[in-house]
Amino acid sequence: MRRAGLALVVALILAMPFVAGDYYVTLMLPFFAYSVILLGLNLLFGYTGLLSFGHALFIGVGAYAAAFLTSKFGVMHLEAILLAAAGAAVLIAAPIGGLCVRYVKIYFAMLTLAFGMLFHSFLLKFYFVTGGDEGMRVLQPFLLGFDLSQIPKVRFLTRPFYYYSVVVLAVATFVMWRIVSSPFGLCLRAIRDNPDKAQSLGVSVKRYRWYAFVISAAYAAVGGALLGPTTGQVDPNLAYWTHSGNIVFMMLLGGFANFFGPLVGALVFIFLQDTVMSIVPYWRLVFGAILALIVIAAPGGLMGLLDRRAVSWGEKSRQGGAPP
Amino acid sequence: METNRRDFLKGIGAAATGGALGFPAVVRAQTRKGIPAEPVKIGLLAIRAGVAAPVGAAGQRGVEWWAERVNKAGGILGRKAELVLEEESSPKDTVERFRKLALQTKVDVIVGGISTAVGLALGPVAEELAMLWLSWDATTQKGVEETMPKPKFAFRSVDNEVEAIGGAILTAKYFKGVKTIAGINNDYSYGRDCWDAFQAVLKRYTPDVKPVLDLWPKLGVTDFTSHIAAIQQAKPDLLMTSFWSGDTTILLKQAAAVGLFKSMKGCFTTGGGVHDSLKKSFTPEGLVLGYNSMYFNYAGASALQKQFVREYKAKHGEYPPYECDHGYFTVESYRAGVEKAYKAAGEWPSKEQVAKALEGIQVESLSGKRSWREDHVQMCNFFQGITTHKSEFDFVTIDPVEVLPTTKIMKPSTSTKLYEWINATFPLKS
Repeated sequence: MRRAGLALVVALILAMPFVAGDYYVTLMLPFFAYSVILLGLNLLFGYTGLLSFGHALFIGVGAYAAAFLTSKFGVMHLEAILLAAAGAAVLIAAPIGGLCVRYVKIYFAMLTLAFGMLFHSFLLKFYFVTGGDEGMRVLQPFLLGFDLSQIPKVRFLTRPFYYYSVVVLAVATFVMWRIVSSPFGLCLRAIRDNPDKAQSLGVSVKRYRWYAFVISAAYAAVGGALLGPTTGQVDPNLAYWTHSGNIVFMMLLGGFANFFGPLVGALVFIFLQDTVMSIVPYWRLVFGAILALIVIAAPGGLMGLLDRRAVSWGEKSRQGGAPP
Repeated sequence: METNRRDFLKGIGAAATGGALGFPAVVRAQTRKGIPAEPVKIGLLAIRAGVAAPVGAAGQRGVEWWAERVNKAGGILGRKAELVLEEESSPKDTVERFRKLALQTKVDVIVGGISTAVGLALGPVAEELAMLWLSWDATTQKGVEETMPKPKFAFRSVDNEVEAIGGAILTAKYFKGVKTIAGINNDYSYGRDCWDAFQAVLKRYTPDVKPVLDLWPKLGVTDFTSHIAAIQQAKPDLLMTSFWSGDTTILLKQAAAVGLFKSMKGCFTTGGGVHDSLKKSFTPEGLVLGYNSMYFNYAGASALQKQFVREYKAKHGEYPPYECDHGYFTVESYRAGVEKAYKAAGEWPSKEQVAKALEGIQVESLSGKRSWREDHVQMCNFFQGITTHKSEFDFVTIDPVEVLPTTKIMKPSTSTKLYEWINATFPLKS
C-alpha cells in the first residue's frame, strides 16, 4: 500500500512538467531544494533529538558556494557545485558541530542560532566579498556537462533543471533512508531516547551527534546550492534566523516522526504560502496561527494525522467495522 | 488600512463603474480595431510588511488613484485597467511573485520594486520572461555600478546616490564654512554609497572638508543614544544621513533631547519620505531635508499634484510621500507607451513594442514632467530644501525649495563611472 502510494507520488512528480502550468512547475523547484535540506535537518532533530535554529547558515553556505563558483570562478558544472557546497559545509560544520554537540536542548538551539547569525552578519558586513545586502548572481549552471544557455530560462527550469533536481532529491532520499535504517541510525535514535543508556552501551554520544550535525549541514548546503539557480540571485536573507525558523516550521508541519513528513511539510508550506500571500497581506499571521494549531492539536504534523487515521482505519477493519 | 486583493480589485472596478455612471461626460470604454475586449492586467509588487511597508503602501495608493482616473476616462485604448497585487519581500520570494504574475496571472506589465537587492534579482528575470517591468524605486545597481547596461524589458529607478549628491550641493550652498562632517547611514549598500557620494561631491566644493566619524546602524534600529553620544564626542560641523524611514523620526527625537543640532548643521538627504512625522516640536529649522521626487507642498506644483494631495489627504488622513509619484509615473508612462506604440502598430502592441515606445518617453506625472531615459533609467526632479516651522502644519516643511533635475545630479548614462563623472562635473557652474 505504502509502496503504491510512493509510486503514485513519484509518477505525479515526473508527469508534472507536462500537465501543470510553468509557474507551478517552477514552484516545485524550491520544494525539491527544501526537501533535501529537511532530510538533513530531520536527521538532526527527528532522529537525534537536537533542534537547530541556525541551519540557514548551511543553506547560505550552499547558496553562496553556487554564487561564488559560477560568477567569480567560472565553475559552471552543477555536479561540481553541489560537491563543493557539501564540502564547504562539512568544513564549516566540523568545528561548529564539535562545539555545539557538547550541549543539548535550548543551549544547543541557542548556540546554533548564534553561529547562524554570525554567518549572516559576515554576509551582510563583508560586502566587498559577498555583495552585502545586494547579494550575488548565480549564473545558469551546466547540467551533466551540457551548457543549456541557449534554452529559454523558463524552459530550462521546467524541464532539464526540474528533472535534475528530482534526481538529486531521489539520491539524497535514498542515502538518508540507508543512513537512518543502518546501525548508525539506530544509535542516533537510541541517543535521542536515552543518551545515558546509549552511552552505557558503548555508543559515543557526542561523536555520533557530531556525525549527524555534519551530515545534516552537508544536506542543507546541497539544498541551498539548488535554490540559487532558480532565483538567479542569493542574498543574506537565506542565512537569516527567520529562514531557519521557516524550515523548522516545515518540519513540524509535515511531522518529524515520519521519514517523509518534512517533505510533505515543505510541499504544503510552499503552496500554502503561494496561495495565502496572494489573498491576504496578513499571511504571516495565518502561518503563525497554523503553527500554533499544529503544536497544540497535531504535534505529529500532517503525517502524524494521516498515520493516526491509518491506524484507526486498520483497527476498525480488523474489528469488521466499515471503513471511514 | 490594509486591503486584500479581492477588495482591491472590487474597489477599482466599483470606482470605474461609479465613475462612468456619475460622470456622463467622460468617455466610455470603446472597443477599437485590433484591441482586445478584456481588461489590461497590471501587476503590482509592493512591500506590505516591516519598516518599508508605508513606502509600499504609498506607491500602491499612487497606482490606485491613477487606475480610478484612467478607468473613469475609458481605460487604456478602451481597455479597463485591472490591478493585481503581490507582495515584495526577499529577493527569492519576490522573484516567485514576479513569475506568478508573468506566467500564471499573465499580466501585461509589472510595476513596483523598492529594494535594490530585489531589483538586482528582478531585472534578469524580467529579461528571461520577456516581461515589462517598470520599477518604482529599485535599481539594478551593484554598489554604484550598473549590472544591466542594455536591458530590453527592465526599466529602473534613478541611481541610488542621486539624493546624496543633491544634499552635498545644498550643503555647500547653504552651510559655508563646514570643515568636519560625520555620517550616520544604514548599514547596507544604499547607506554606504550615499555617504561616499556625499563626501566626494562635497570635497569638490570644499576640498579641505574632513570626515571625522561614520556610523552604520542596522536598518530598523530604534535606539540611537550611543550613536548620538559618539557624534557629540566627535563634534563635527555637520551630520549627514540618508535615513528614509521611521529611523529619521527617531534620530531627530533623540537628537532633540540632547540639543544635538544646536551645535551642528544637519543634512537629511531622504528624510522627507516620512515628512509628516517630523514634528516641529523636535525637528529644528535650518536642516537640509530631501523629499525625493515629489514635495507635497510645492508652490509650483501642477494642478494634477494639487488635486492628488487634496484627495489623498481626504482619503488617507495624511499628506502623500514621494513613492506615490513613482507608482503613478510607472503606470502613466505605460499607458502613454501603449498608446504611442498603438499608433505605429495599428493594433494592441506587443511587450517589445511598448518597451521600445517607452524609451525616451515623457509624461505628466504627479510631480511634473518625468521620463524614461533611452537606457531605461527614470529621469525626474528632486526636491530638497531648508526646514522651516513657518507653515500651518504641525510638522516641518522646506523653504526655500530647491528643484534638482536628474540631468544635473545623476551621471548621464549607465556606462559612466560615478566618481570620474563627479570629479569632472562638480562644482557646478550655476
